[in-house]
Amino acid sequence: MKRSIPPGHWLLRSGSWSVLVDRRACLAGLTLSLALVVAGALSLASGSADIDAISAVRALFGVGEPMQVFLVRELRLERLLAGLFTGAALGIAGCLLQTLARNRLATPGVIGIDDGATAFAVASIVAVPTSLAPPALALIGAMTAAALAFGLAGGSGARGYRFIVVGIGVGAVFGALTNLMLARTDLDSANQAYPWTVGSLSARPWLAVQLLGIALLLAIPCAKGLNRALATLRFNDSVARGLGIDVARVRLLTLALTVLLTGLAVAVVGPVGLIALAAPEMARYLSGHRGVAVVNAGLAGALLMVCADWSGRTVLAPVEIPVGIVTAVIGGPYLLWILIRQPVRSTP
Amino acid sequence: MLKPLCLALCTLLASTWALAAPRTLDTPYGPVTLQGSPTRVITLDESSLDAALAVGVQPVGTVSTRGSDQVSAYLQERAGQPQIVGTARAPNLEAIVKLAPDLILAPAGVSQELFATYSRIAPTVASKNSSMNDWQATTAFYALALDRQAQGQQVLAAIDQRAAELKARLPAEQRVSVVRWNPQGPIAMSGRIFVGQMLHKVGLRTTELANGLKGPHSDVLSLENLSRIDADWLFVASLNADGASALEVARQQPAFTRLHAVRQNHVATVDGQVWASGSGPLAAHKVLDDLQRILAP
Amino acid sequence: MTQTLPAPTLVDRYRWRVYRCAGLLALVMVTSLLLGAGDTGPWRALSTLLGQGSSEERFVLFQLRWPRTLLGLLVGAALGAAGIVLQATTRNPLAEPGMLGVSAGASLAVVIAVALGASSATVNLGVAVAGALVGCALVLLVSRVGTLGDDPVRLVLAGAAFSSLLAALTSLILLHDQRSADEIRFWVIGALAGRSGDTLLWSLPGVIGGLLLLLPAIRPLASLALGERVAAGLGHHPQLTRMWALVAVAILVGTATAAAGPIGFVGLIVPFMARRLVGPDIRRTLLPALLLGPCVLISADIISRLTVRPYELPIGVITAFIGAPILIAVVRGQRMPRL
Repeated sequence: MKRSIPPGHWLLRSGSWSVLVDRRACLAGLTLSLALVVAGALSLASGSADIDAISAVRALFGVGEPMQVFLVRELRLERLLAGLFTGAALGIAGCLLQTLARNRLATPGVIGIDDGATAFAVASIVAVPTSLAPPALALIGAMTAAALAFGLAGGSGARGYRFIVVGIGVGAVFGALTNLMLARTDLDSANQAYPWTVGSLSARPWLAVQLLGIALLLAIPCAKGLNRALATLRFNDSVARGLGIDVARVRLLTLALTVLLTGLAVAVVGPVGLIALAAPEMARYLSGHRGVAVVNAGLAGALLMVCADWSGRTVLAPVEIPVGIVTAVIGGPYLLWILIRQPVRSTP
Repeated sequence: MLKPLCLALCTLLASTWALAAPRTLDTPYGPVTLQGSPTRVITLDESSLDAALAVGVQPVGTVSTRGSDQVSAYLQERAGQPQIVGTARAPNLEAIVKLAPDLILAPAGVSQELFATYSRIAPTVASKNSSMNDWQATTAFYALALDRQAQGQQVLAAIDQRAAELKARLPAEQRVSVVRWNPQGPIAMSGRIFVGQMLHKVGLRTTELANGLKGPHSDVLSLENLSRIDADWLFVASLNADGASALEVARQQPAFTRLHAVRQNHVATVDGQVWASGSGPLAAHKVLDDLQRILAP
Repeated sequence: MTQTLPAPTLVDRYRWRVYRCAGLLALVMVTSLLLGAGDTGPWRALSTLLGQGSSEERFVLFQLRWPRTLLGLLVGAALGAAGIVLQATTRNPLAEPGMLGVSAGASLAVVIAVALGASSATVNLGVAVAGALVGCALVLLVSRVGTLGDDPVRLVLAGAAFSSLLAALTSLILLHDQRSADEIRFWVIGALAGRSGDTLLWSLPGVIGGLLLLLPAIRPLASLALGERVAAGLGHHPQLTRMWALVAVAILVGTATAAAGPIGFVGLIVPFMARRLVGPDIRRTLLPALLLGPCVLISADIISRLTVRPYELPIGVITAFIGAPILIAVVRGQRMPRL
């Protein structure tokens, strides 16, 4: 008996396993991956120190002058990986939160996680002498901000919007604290704290990047597992419950995942809010509106981050424009475009 | 005949041995040993650039000063045309690699990770003390790193001598207050940092407020408390190239015009890059120039 | 025969509440004269007010504290009224000029003007109002009518995203222009102190103009609270009303921002307090808002003077600390009050 495959899907079979894959989403994913590879190669091959492509490839494999090898492997490759991981993490976190909040504009940056992370990181540099490195404190700050917003809003239950608004308030307070700290400190400390306030991929702590990589590895399967539940969550709570989803638990899990990914990402790169906004949009646009495009959002986020970093490095060389500023400048008009063209129903 | 030859040979050997003698510097992340005289130096903050230029070394690369894409105005003349490798806040690692330096002078507050990365590119040193607090020791530190100890000492001695000469010409026991003016209230510079130390060197005194500060500068002082920055002379440090406009803005405040210093017209504008955030031998000379110009014309 | 007093009517109760607000304002203003970061303590200040004080104390009181208090009066009234009107226009109890990007638009406009070299009082005022208008235009676009089940959060999110964008642009300009950075860096924080003497002169007509412009729009706004169709049925034009009200808001917020820099959260705190006092009808809350706005702002100013003597804290930090709990309280209310 011929099994009927729903239109627009592919069926992949291997032995007794079969997976139904949305065709458009799959193609989108492949396109994004390809674009990512190209962007990555471009990023490895260009920079302030000119190396021609062939030497760059050889240096990647450890062959060539030690300084060139150092340049490509340590400086550029680490930077590329930092960009990839943070972009992916922010893209996924943004996608999850948008689905949770049923609002295209709900990004981790808006609900105060970024501000909390920045405030804690800056405090560790300029105010409070602690033995923990700034990235660790940034992570703690992100979690604190999220916990505050969550606790003060009384949970993100049916009144999910409460959580978002409280998050905005918490973010405002942390932002004010950060400004206060920076205004009262000396120049050297302010310089040191700068990457945490503006979002930069230059010389990021490698340990934090590795941690983020591991977290991503664990988070992506989790997110995929939650995919079906999330897809139903886009509708009413009662509809979701009717379909057998434990709404509260899914919400909590999604929130935890979002905070973890965002916290780790901000611990590496600082506040780069617009990636979490733009990446899911891009993913949704490419892969159609069926389902929740978590993996594609991650790929899109990675692509955007790498491209933004690359342009920040090359446009005004040798002065680097931090990636946070590049995304703000380019993402801004894009954000305005979304706001103006937002359809009547705001559900993603 | 043989004896003088042997003696000459021994002296030659001894001097070359002294030249090649490695020197060990104490950095916040452990001792670093340097060999030989560096020729391609990169400085990553203004105080090291200042010190390098003072002992006659022109770095091949340096960072631009705040809010500009070049080095500070007061250093431009002697700096030549160094390659700009980014800003003090965000140095561009690739540009540093590209210049193939043999010595990197990193800022005092550099993080351990960044210091390790710099050390992979070239031998790197950073001073343990902030140059704002102990600029003479930091200058000597950089001179040692650049293998120019003698020049370093000469430079510092020259500054001391010039300061002593100026001290003799200045009226005794004058109090000077150095502030950055901000419409909501002034920010007083500490008496313990570079500029305060220079003032003390020429026998001038600083205000009680300035002496009691814990950091390099105060918070925004309320306009009600302007008497705390009042002194015999008031120096307004401005980062604008045109300092007169800062003074104009200040004069619009009635609180400002009530200060004794202002009433006696003992107010002057000075370059903020030197007086508020500078430190180093060339900055010291600039400070002495300004003091001479204003107080002992 | 004993005469029984007539039971206090609703109008009387309202009047008494307004009187209480006015009394509170008078008290706050006097306190602002008595307290400060300097050495002129409350007793000396009191005696100076009564006529005996040294020239130093008279200077502190009449040249420093009094202009500051007056500016707080103007700016507080402007921001309070703007908050009430904005909330009525968008029917959203979370709408606030600072959070929706109106203040950010005004301050970005001023930053650009200063960076381009044009910086005088009147220019700043016009430029700030223009910037605030842009912010209001965005508010109008995003809160377009016809949405099913108004989502109060959508507007807030849009505003938050927009104002963070504007803040990024502002810091971008500050990064690269040292000349303007010095002038702007402290203005951008927002403060009542240190404003030039003629600030009061040109901001007074701005605030009064904005309030006068508001007067014809009050009744239509009140009817807007009943819904678009009802309002139209009563003979008002909802869209026109909205636009008119937002122009008034832009003038008020633009003037306030040009005078004192961007100060956030006042437009959130004041409507909250006013609603608690006299109910949600804008015809009743406007007057208390005009009185409570200065109360909140001047109180925040007093706190900023007392916390870190002899220095002063930026007033925006204080309003953020007061405003955030209020935001949370509004959101946690049993029902989101429908305005």
